[in-house]
Amino acid sequence: MYAELHCLSNFTFLRGASHPHELVEQAEALGYSALAITDECSVAGTVRAHMAAKHRRLKLIVGAEFRLTCGLKFVALASDRHGYGRLCRLITRSRRAAPKGQYALTRADLEAADPQGCFILWVPAARPVPEELAWLTQRFPGKTRVAVELLRDGRDGERLAALTRIGAQCVVPLIASGDVHMHVRARSRLQDALTAIRLNVPITEVGSRLYANGERYLREPARLKRLYPPQLLEATVELAAACHFSLDELRYEYPRELVPEGVTAASHLRQLTQEGARWRWPNGVPPADQTAIEYELALISELGYESYFLTVHDIVAWARGRGILCQGRGSAANSRVCYCLGVTSVDPQRGAAMLFERFISRERNEPPDIDIDFEHERREEVLQYVYRKYGRERAALAATVIMYRPRSALRDLGKVFGLTPPECTRLAKVMQWWDGSTEIAARVREAGFDPASPWLSRLLPLAKELVAMPGFPRHLSQHVGGFVIAAGLLEELVPIENAAMPDRTVVQWDKDDLNDLGLLKVDLLALGMLTALQRAFTLVNDYRGTRHALGELPAEDSQVYDMICRADTVGVFQIESRAQMAMLPRLKPRCYYDLVIEVAIVRPGPIQGDMVHPYLRRRGGAAAVEYPREEVRAVLQRTLGVPIFQEQVMQIAIVAAGFTPGEADALRRAMGAWKRTGGLDPFRERLLQGMHARGYPQEFAQRIYQQMLGFGEYGFPEAHAMSFALLVYDSAWLKCHEPAAFACALLNSQPMGFYAPAQLVRDARAHGVEVREVDACVSAWDATLERRADGEPALRLGLRLVKSLSQAGTLRLIAARTARPFASVQDIAARAGLDRADLEALAAAGAFASLSGNRHFAFWEVAGTQRVLPLAPAAARGTDIEEGRPLLAAPTEGQGIAADYASLGLTLGRHPLALLRPRLQAAAILPASELLRAGNGASVRAAGIVLMRQRPATASGVTFLTLEDESGQVNVIVWERVGQAQRRALIESRLLEVHGELQQQDGVTHLIARRLFDRSQLLGELLTRSRDFH
Amino acid sequence: MHAPKPPPVRLPAPACESLGVARVPLRRVHRAAAAEVVSLELWAGAHLPMIDKETLTRLAERAQRFTPRVSLAPPDGLLLEVRGSLHLFAGVAGLRAALTQDCLHLKIQPLIAFAPTPSAALAAARAGKPLEVLHASQLTGQLASLPLTALRWPQDVLERLKRMGVRTIGAVLRLPRAGFARRFGATQLAMLDALTGRTPEVRAAHRPRVRFRRRRDLDYELQNHALLLTALTPLFTQLGAFLKARQCAVVELECRLIHRQAPVSCCVLRLASPFADAQRLRELLGAQLDALRLPEPVRACELRAAALVAYVPDSATLWQAGEHGGGSVRETHGFIEHLRARLGPEAVHGLALLSEHRPESAWAVTGPPAAARQHQAPEPGEVPAPRRPLWLLQTPRPLSVRDGLPRRRGPLRLVSEPERIETGWWDDGEIARDYYTALDIHGVRLWVFRERAAPHGWYLHGVFG
Repeated sequence: MYAELHCLSNFTFLRGASHPHELVEQAEALGYSALAITDECSVAGTVRAHMAAKHRRLKLIVGAEFRLTCGLKFVALASDRHGYGRLCRLITRSRRAAPKGQYALTRADLEAADPQGCFILWVPAARPVPEELAWLTQRFPGKTRVAVELLRDGRDGERLAALTRIGAQCVVPLIASGDVHMHVRARSRLQDALTAIRLNVPITEVGSRLYANGERYLREPARLKRLYPPQLLEATVELAAACHFSLDELRYEYPRELVPEGVTAASHLRQLTQEGARWRWPNGVPPADQTAIEYELALISELGYESYFLTVHDIVAWARGRGILCQGRGSAANSRVCYCLGVTSVDPQRGAAMLFERFISRERNEPPDIDIDFEHERREEVLQYVYRKYGRERAALAATVIMYRPRSALRDLGKVFGLTPPECTRLAKVMQWWDGSTEIAARVREAGFDPASPWLSRLLPLAKELVAMPGFPRHLSQHVGGFVIAAGLLEELVPIENAAMPDRTVVQWDKDDLNDLGLLKVDLLALGMLTALQRAFTLVNDYRGTRHALGELPAEDSQVYDMICRADTVGVFQIESRAQMAMLPRLKPRCYYDLVIEVAIVRPGPIQGDMVHPYLRRRGGAAAVEYPREEVRAVLQRTLGVPIFQEQVMQIAIVAAGFTPGEADALRRAMGAWKRTGGLDPFRERLLQGMHARGYPQEFAQRIYQQMLGFGEYGFPEAHAMSFALLVYDSAWLKCHEPAAFACALLNSQPMGFYAPAQLVRDARAHGVEVREVDACVSAWDATLERRADGEPALRLGLRLVKSLSQAGTLRLIAARTARPFASVQDIAARAGLDRADLEALAAAGAFASLSGNRHFAFWEVAGTQRVLPLAPAAARGTDIEEGRPLLAAPTEGQGIAADYASLGLTLGRHPLALLRPRLQAAAILPASELLRAGNGASVRAAGIVLMRQRPATASGVTFLTLEDESGQVNVIVWERVGQAQRRALIESRLLEVHGELQQQDGVTHLIARRLFDRSQLLGELLTRSRDFH
Repeated sequence: MHAPKPPPVRLPAPACESLGVARVPLRRVHRAAAAEVVSLELWAGAHLPMIDKETLTRLAERAQRFTPRVSLAPPDGLLLEVRGSLHLFAGVAGLRAALTQDCLHLKIQPLIAFAPTPSAALAAARAGKPLEVLHASQLTGQLASLPLTALRWPQDVLERLKRMGVRTIGAVLRLPRAGFARRFGATQLAMLDALTGRTPEVRAAHRPRVRFRRRRDLDYELQNHALLLTALTPLFTQLGAFLKARQCAVVELECRLIHRQAPVSCCVLRLASPFADAQRLRELLGAQLDALRLPEPVRACELRAAALVAYVPDSATLWQAGEHGGGSVRETHGFIEHLRARLGPEAVHGLALLSEHRPESAWAVTGPPAAARQHQAPEPGEVPAPRRPLWLLQTPRPLSVRDGLPRRRGPLRLVSEPERIETGWWDDGEIARDYYTALDIHGVRLWVFRERAAPHGWYLHGVFG
């Protein structure tokens, strides 16, 4: 019998070559009595190993490998809960003392951390240093062992003899161990390649830093018996038996300090809810809502979730106090309690009052899930508040494990095989981000590489191993906003390490790990639209003296819905994407709940589950709304009998197939993960049989199951859609009634959303907003509203659009301008103290037009400005040097437009395509506006600047392009076959010419591409054609 | 309170003068009645795309036949002042044709332009315009349409000018002088002045390379090697003086022996490092001459040294060779030179250890032998070097097997535990072997291995000393 006590998983990044679950499975198959996962200064892989070992007979031991700065190497194994806490603390200390991804530990640190409750395995160097063992035994008497690792380097006997001697001197027992890096020998190539990646040298140059042989795998017991004296093998089993810590022992406790002295959590929550109810319903709480509140509070109390709600409330209340806009969403967020606590602004009346139980159930003994979105530019303040309030030893962000993707795998492996960086990039580029891992060989061939060539034939299998599910981990990053907060010391629950960003700390587990162990996580996310909405409210309120706020705009405004039905939604939250815009004229939302459906229906889940067309047909009256049974009606009535939301699928499982709510929740999780783990089959039987037993037709049952498969991880919860729909409505209202302020707020919140400033400005002008150019004498950093003679606002573009202009320089510019208007460019340079780079940035933007004329003169003047030293005599400072005005040719219109785009990313002049139109017309290319009139099925040619390329995972290889010309946009569909044949033009064009066939349906026009031509060089000619030499 | 604004500084009139209008006329030959100004100089500028340094120098040497005033404009330009030689080549057209011929001979496609100033000729050539401007008065007009990039100004200067809409030489010449100088500096202004001939431009003439070539006709024919070497002695004396005067050294010395009928016998001495000591050179050549078979008696001999390099003398040592280790490096060097001269340069090489697990790839032949490294005591914790035999066979030799054990002139006894090496999968040298030390019946220690893959053959790979 044997227990492996020194084993690295691939969570020792770029060293270990096997997944934790592979190690566990292999160890069990070999009949090991226990396996310790001992990643280097990390427990990041242990939860996965724990989950894999849970259903097996294998005992899992938690440990970690360390190398002190002096070179001493050892493995620490947690023998009990206390030891595990100390181990986590030791990892935390070492990790926090070093930059992200590294650790630093000295002998003094180790003594200070005092890892009681751990066994220490001394891992001697190739030439053992006896002093190391002496030092360890002195610190950890009785807990130290000598790890004897015999790896067939030709000196095993010598080594065993030497270690026996040293062990005897210090009276320390010896144990066998394997320094395992992989579960099977076959992974040794990958292990070599990972070593090369880690050392950042080609494999041919790694030389003796590779392992000489592949012995570092989980070796068969028979082999071990030949290598080791029996007592060394027995010692491993004994030591494993002495370790009895399991991750199942971890108990999570909510933070307690939010409850004042002498009050229970329940009564405190009740009090806060009542206060909130008075604020929400100043004229008294309607009886129905009062009943619902009581019911919800009772349920929360019963499940003991008060602390969770209090934690969320505390964060939201703090943000609100700082004027940071936020909105909760998720399973518990649409409760009346959350409405009263201010977590969400969705009036339950408006949201077609849903049952709280739909989101929080007695049987699902897991914490309710609330995500809170904050203004994206101010979320950091909230994160730092949480760190401050609970301390870094109690709160940290969840980790995200960054896995190899096809591109990164090819790039890293390219380096391993000695490709130069540009070649690696070329190799990596053969994969688009949407390409699946199975297509690597085909893609590589298309790009002109020969997959059968000696190096590629070796590289590709490795690439396949790296990208195979569940993904080979490459490094740990931070989760976008999932916070873990503990009542006690978090660092004794899970190690904490530094993130790449300053002032951020993350735990070593990702959200799935936390979920598996039942740890509380609050998602504090950033949402650009909240920033934009906050700005738009401020702009409108300042301009008009109104008091608009989130969720308090006039409800159900028909003008707003008219606009939405026209798909006139550039800039509106969620429904601005191309797919959403195509859906709007067909779904024709007329009320709030329609928006909820609209948000959820244009998702991969409903599309793959084929729910969209049945819903639209029923909505349009083309198909009858029917329910197989009455109890299904209750679930599906609000979506006309078609399941659209994740919750509905779960409820059908309950009412139609007899699932318990707990089982339904397990089903939901399996739905999210079936593509990775394929674990939906057990539910299939249960579901189909359950429905059959209850008399549902086979066909209905099959359809529900198919829809579940389609949902996959993309099913959108109604709870989230409810909250999002509010932002949709409010942003649509602003766009409809305050287009100038809305565009202004969007511009000032960039980058966000679907459209670049150019399209936002173009859209605003199309809606009659006067847009004024960037001007150094007038513009502020942000875009602003200026009052026109007729009282309506005009939009003045801000200096933030100017490429490479410093914000500090802009502030000085504005300060100097406030003192006295500028007289000349030299005056700006002198008084605002702008450096040459800032001045040139402004000249390039055309921001000096009012002072010096066209860009050419502006640059001439900027080049002539002199840096005025701050201590120069006053007389010299204001000196203007009068010199002759040079003979400079004026820029052509094309040059002006190109310069606008280069500096600002947009132009207020004509669209570049307008200049090219005569040439395009000669080639029989139609503008977008005329295209609409060409009629269904017409064979046409179009050309435009490529605004975006999309390749939804659901569309099986189809690429959607949006082209823009001076008259509008053209939506192009490129079928997979066409796209593959003309991949370069598809991927690389900036200006694309498309020949194809027009398709019109329900007021939506698409161009189905047949031929694609890259016409990008025409854009360049706009600039160069005007050159005055030939 | 604002201080009263000081009055603007008015620059003197020339500040407003534009760059192109030359106040001071070019130097003239004579003032013809019709003001047809013929410049004193006429430059041919050649743009030679993709030329390398070596070829450029060779071309410059060939071009000496047109004019002594040849000037290099690296990396890819050549300038010739040809006013004086025009009539010898039937004017501009003839000269252009002849120069083009020379370039084509060196497989270079030239672009040639003629102008009164070297900068203008080169700029036109680089812009791809085969201008022929013979009169100074036409120069600015002809240059006007050339793109500014032809001047090869720093990229940032060109970029800044481009942003002002200035993309041609004509446009830049229209800018005010003072304003231009203030913005772009005096260097650029000076270049423009040189371009238009406002100020004369001084160009360094190309000087041909030094090489040594001396011939001695013998009074009587010789076939005896020793006498030949004596006959060469005066040439070596001359070589010594030549090298000393120029502080040069040779890396390659060619001795040519001319016969009555037979083709010339050649003997080339290639040196590992530059040598300036003529006496030693003579000895080394002597060693090589000994090995040369002469088909006929020798009538004349010649010494040629083409590749001369600057000579950097070693610092001399205080100690004699052999004393206190003094001079050992140089001794070794001398010995190696001697061996190379005797056995041929390919026969002597060094060995180096490489960081590799595969025994066959763990060492390499190196060129010039490096000085012996000091042996260092191993650091504690350092990976001990694996046991390797000094004599490693070029390719492993299969061994016969009986009862699963290898044999070589009798059964072999395995006396060590196995060392497993599995690596090299990334190229064609993948191995998977278990190595053992084995004793044969005579007690010779051998290094043998067994293939890990079927059929598990046994091989001899080396012999321990």
